[in-house]
Amino acid sequence: MANSGTPLLDRAFLERLERLTIHWQKSFGGLVGGHNRSRYPGGGQEFLEHRQFHQGDDLRAVNWRAYMRLDKMFLKMFQVEPRVPVRMLVDTSASMAAVSEEKFEYARKLAAALCYVGLVRLDTIQVLPFADKLKEGKTGSGGRHRYREVSEFLEAQKAEGTTNFLGVVRQFLDEYPQRGLVIVISDFLDDGSCTKALQYLADYGNELMLLQVWADEDRLPPWKGEVDLIDAESGSQVRMQVDADARDRYTAAFDAFSAGLKEVALRNDGKYAGIPVSLSLDDAIFDTMVRTRGVA
Amino acid sequence: MIFLNLTLGQFLPLLGAMAAITVALYMLDRTRRRQVVATLRFWTEAGKPAPITRRAKIQQPISLILQLLGMLLLLLAVAEWQWAGRTGARRDHVLVLDTSAWMGAAAPARPGETPRPNETLMDVARRDSLAWVRAVPADDRILVVRADGLATPATGWETDRRNVARAILLSQPGATLLNISQSLDFARRLQKSSGGAAGEIAYAGPGRISAREANSLVLPEMPAFRALAVDDAVDNCGLRVVGARRSTVDPGVWDVLVRVRNYSTSKLPVTVTLNFGNIPQGTRPLELPAGEEREATFAVRTKAAGLVEARIYPKDAFAADNYASLELPEVRSMPVLVYSDQPGLIRPALASDPRVDAEFRPTSQYNAAAAMSSENANDTQPRKPSLVILHRFGPDKAPEGSALWIDPPSGKAPVPVKERVGKPEGLFWTPDQPLTAGLRARDVQLEQVSVLAPAAKDVVLAGVNEGPVMVARGEAGHRTVVMGFDPFQGAMRFELATPLMLANVLRWVAPDVFRDVDVATQAAGAVESPLPPGKQEVQVLTDTGANLPFVARDKSVSFFTGDPARVRVVAGNIERVYSLTLPEMWDTKWKIPVNARRGLPAINDELRRSPSLWPWLALLGAAVLLLEWFLYGRRGAHHGPAGIHAVRGGMEKAA
Repeated sequence: MANSGTPLLDRAFLERLERLTIHWQKSFGGLVGGHNRSRYPGGGQEFLEHRQFHQGDDLRAVNWRAYMRLDKMFLKMFQVEPRVPVRMLVDTSASMAAVSEEKFEYARKLAAALCYVGLVRLDTIQVLPFADKLKEGKTGSGGRHRYREVSEFLEAQKAEGTTNFLGVVRQFLDEYPQRGLVIVISDFLDDGSCTKALQYLADYGNELMLLQVWADEDRLPPWKGEVDLIDAESGSQVRMQVDADARDRYTAAFDAFSAGLKEVALRNDGKYAGIPVSLSLDDAIFDTMVRTRGVA
Repeated sequence: MIFLNLTLGQFLPLLGAMAAITVALYMLDRTRRRQVVATLRFWTEAGKPAPITRRAKIQQPISLILQLLGMLLLLLAVAEWQWAGRTGARRDHVLVLDTSAWMGAAAPARPGETPRPNETLMDVARRDSLAWVRAVPADDRILVVRADGLATPATGWETDRRNVARAILLSQPGATLLNISQSLDFARRLQKSSGGAAGEIAYAGPGRISAREANSLVLPEMPAFRALAVDDAVDNCGLRVVGARRSTVDPGVWDVLVRVRNYSTSKLPVTVTLNFGNIPQGTRPLELPAGEEREATFAVRTKAAGLVEARIYPKDAFAADNYASLELPEVRSMPVLVYSDQPGLIRPALASDPRVDAEFRPTSQYNAAAAMSSENANDTQPRKPSLVILHRFGPDKAPEGSALWIDPPSGKAPVPVKERVGKPEGLFWTPDQPLTAGLRARDVQLEQVSVLAPAAKDVVLAGVNEGPVMVARGEAGHRTVVMGFDPFQGAMRFELATPLMLANVLRWVAPDVFRDVDVATQAAGAVESPLPPGKQEVQVLTDTGANLPFVARDKSVSFFTGDPARVRVVAGNIERVYSLTLPEMWDTKWKIPVNARRGLPAINDELRRSPSLWPWLALLGAAVLLLEWFLYGRRGAHHGPAGIHAVRGGMEKAA
């Protein structure tokens, strides 16, 4: 467990992640990815041009050598690299730890891995935990050495609260109007219609990458006989007579729900990956996500 | 019907409690359960409302019955249930493991097997014993007896096979010879007194015994005897005895006798070498016919103490009897100072024994505290005489040490002279005194005698009709003998009694010097040592001075030592030193009885048939529980590999 003091991801796995890049399909006007430059001047790292000094400009940017030689103040201009914002919504509702912490642990590891991939490519990634509303997030940028902060932030998260996708999406769009890539790591088990909320997110120009994580018992319930089933989030209870037919119907309903999620993602030029926790994280990233072209 | 482990009173409550717990657990397990899930949204489509049921309803009665039946069978197994009385109960077996000295010999290579270097007969016997132990049913008890010259139990009655195996593995070859009849008799007695049904008595070893035992072998009645014979067909020649005694012709020489035996079935040449203090003393080549002994003698000239080592070459399968050593004691002499004006009379008597170092001085040179010149020219330290002989001379001051007064003048003797008698009659010698041993002459005519007046503590050794003429006195630190006559004059000078009397005096004053010493190295075990004629005190002492138990009868003394040791037998003037360092060896091979079971038990051997039901009950109970789990195990269906495949399949489908 990450909370026991061991890091979410080990060093060897991180090294393997360094050859990956987060991919998106949409073209966001004025924004570039980690390996494309723009010509917008600003406080970047690379020199772009000189311009006349105007009142209010930063004196630290004055070219004092030119001033000494020409007796005029010129300002050194550097190019900025506005990048496509990558925002990662991580589900921290109680359903993520309904039967065991395994699903929540898996989701945090997946989020940490994608953060690391983005940081290595100098992308800026905002990790935004959510349940019934958005929680305080963490922005990671500036290279792989900032990974530790993001990792510790994810380790500190706890699974609690109910899921309210619609409320979360509204809050997200209010707070982050700039379009970008939105990665959602969740079990998407909302009592409401999460597909509607996701569609709402896509309609505002964001590209969706939906990563559905489920525990084995979420899809294939092992129980049979008389069972009192209690919702982990709402606490509501229902008494069921579970037999083989009921379990088959349950699995069919779950698969139909997953198919609906996938359809929402693909319809909006996004990506979808269903990841059971029994699948190793290695396979989930290097096989499932590569095949869905979420990373490459 | 009985229970060996539990009484019926214990069994029934235990069964009741277990059944109650099982039913309670069953009811708890089969009742409705609460389960937290991530969402209920799919259940509302898939499930159906459960019927209202009573909490305690038994839904799968066959499952409960199978569980109870399994518990009952397992409990019966624990209780060791038997159909009938204890006749079919566990058996008690005895393993007689040969730990005789011969077990240390190298094992011959088995035909068809790779030779194992350094493997001994003991290793083979251990291996066979462990295989036999593995064949014994688990609930039978085993007792291990280590058999050599003295059968010794190595374990109690054990069902724990680890203890039995440990005792077997810790068994080592001893120093004595196997006494098979005693060992089997001991094993049978243990079996009879165990209280259980008699099982096998198994003997593991080559069965080498002495000829004496083979001639009078009586084995006990054994219900089942098994022989785990160990093949020992190897070539071996070994030292039987190495003995040394002073030469009868030259007291400065030790005669050393080495006896060698060929234990093989073919003629073998050996070379015997003897060293004294690491200096070679000789080499003797011997041709030894099969099963016979030969002797080689050596002469070692020395007065000093030292180690005599005998070796035989070439090396053979049993190294323990190829070397023997014995320790020769120092040959000591007795310094005697004689004051006499007629030394020529006494000199021949003293010169006859080389152990006497006599020095003669005239009476005019008498000194009560006189010392003798050293025997060794390099040694300047003067020697104090062990005995001072005063011949027809009476000093004013008596010598400081032991003294022999020969016909002292009246008034100068340590024992008052009562009268002087010429040609006395009625000469007699006091019997049962060491000073008069062998003196029986009565017809000796003495010319002149002084009749002595002894004190109460004095011992009269000889007398005439008028009174005592020879008296001994033992005082602290020294001994005194007074003769009222001169045996070196007159007719007695030519009598045998004279040197005998003088020898008795010398031996009485310094018994250690004149003790006859025999030194021998032989095998440990039962040792019989001859006793000199006459009645004397016998002591059997170990190196540490501790007394060893012995039996003295038929002019010999017998004692037993199971370990290599050095034992001294002191009887009168004779001391025998036994260096019991050689292994006790066999003479013949024991013939295994025809009705004995032989070799390791086969798969269908009688030994392997356990009369107990508990293993079958345990197996049946486990099978019933396994069947119940297979039929009604609730959670097994969705766990394991099948579940994983289902999940992966679903993932593919979803992706």
